[in-house]
Amino acid sequence: MTPRWFAIFLLATIPLQAQTPAKPPVPRTPAGHPDLSGVWQGGNLAFAIGEQNFARVSAPGGAPAAPVKPEPPPYTEAAMKIVQQYRDRRGIDDPAARCLMVGIPRITGMPMPFQITQTANQIIFLYEAFHIFRIIPTDGRPHPDDHTPSFMGDPVAHWEGDTLVVDIIGFNDKTWLGGVGTFHTEKLHITERYTRVDYDTIVYEVKMEDPDVLTKPWNQRATIRLRPDDRVREYECGENNEDVLRFESLLKNESLFVRKQ
Amino acid sequence: MKTVLLLLALSIPAWPHHSFAAEYDGEKFVTMKGVVTKIDWQNPHLHFYMDVTTAKGEVEQWKFEGFPPNMLVRQGWKKDVNLKIGDHITVTGWLARDGSKLAHSREITWDDGKKLLSGPPAGTGGN
Repeated sequence: MTPRWFAIFLLATIPLQAQTPAKPPVPRTPAGHPDLSGVWQGGNLAFAIGEQNFARVSAPGGAPAAPVKPEPPPYTEAAMKIVQQYRDRRGIDDPAARCLMVGIPRITGMPMPFQITQTANQIIFLYEAFHIFRIIPTDGRPHPDDHTPSFMGDPVAHWEGDTLVVDIIGFNDKTWLGGVGTFHTEKLHITERYTRVDYDTIVYEVKMEDPDVLTKPWNQRATIRLRPDDRVREYECGENNEDVLRFESLLKNESLFVRKQ
Repeated sequence: MKTVLLLLALSIPAWPHHSFAAEYDGEKFVTMKGVVTKIDWQNPHLHFYMDVTTAKGEVEQWKFEGFPPNMLVRQGWKKDVNLKIGDHITVTGWLARDGSKLAHSREITWDDGKKLLSGPPAGTGGN
């Protein structure tokens, strides 16, 4: 490249550099932990906020929030037959269709944002979808001994380096984990790992264990992206949930929706 | 195609409320033109109604499902602004499995060429 063309090349790159300022560093709390506070979106961003907004939010960030090579659920042979029945019924049995809280990790994949508020001794998740909240102690306390089976389980968390590790037990058996029919029992034990790898990205890793229906831990991974220009809005699933009425009608004639073998 | 759908089913799901596939047939994609007669800006789904004139000149009343309000606003919608009774629109979407005059909308195009997404793509929530 001649000096003249090199100069033109340099000039041509200046506007590009000006348009892509460096990302701020990952914010930290006074205690030195990464601060996860902010409005975030997991799941499929383009679907959640529209292709145009997705393009704007994505630049100059990284890849869209999609799971990386999803690992198939390691169900026992008996449990897999039940999962397949749910799939053949095309998800009509989905608990969320009845507006029930969707459990973990499914809430992270919802196409609606959530807000994290981090304090010295708690981390609080406020989800737009289904009004779900989670108040997670980070002060080292163990799980309480009086919890009862619940949709979102009982969480406690601690830091492993820069990763927030959330341990959750105490689930009921009324949610699906990560796809149509992915049921579980009350023995479900979930470990979530949140790592804010840069200013606008959290890597989310989740391990699901259930000795009654899974042959080994089921691991999933997703990307969660910062949504600095958005806020948590309202989603009241039960306002006019007429889908349930249509389901009742379909269930009277299963040939309309059940997949043929 | 089956492989793609299977992967969707196994990944962390991204459907907001209920399975698309139980109610709607992802293989019955339609494009319909008509006049808006009613709008229910409600959770968990927008519903709007449209008079559609058939090739025989008969007027059919169709119902369309769409995103909930929180997701509509993120697609650029405003209540009572974009979609109004009397609007002439073209809707794309997928027909209900039960054969009723119900469809799951994906995109609306107004006569002036403006377009807005009104619902998620087929297949979200299972196949």
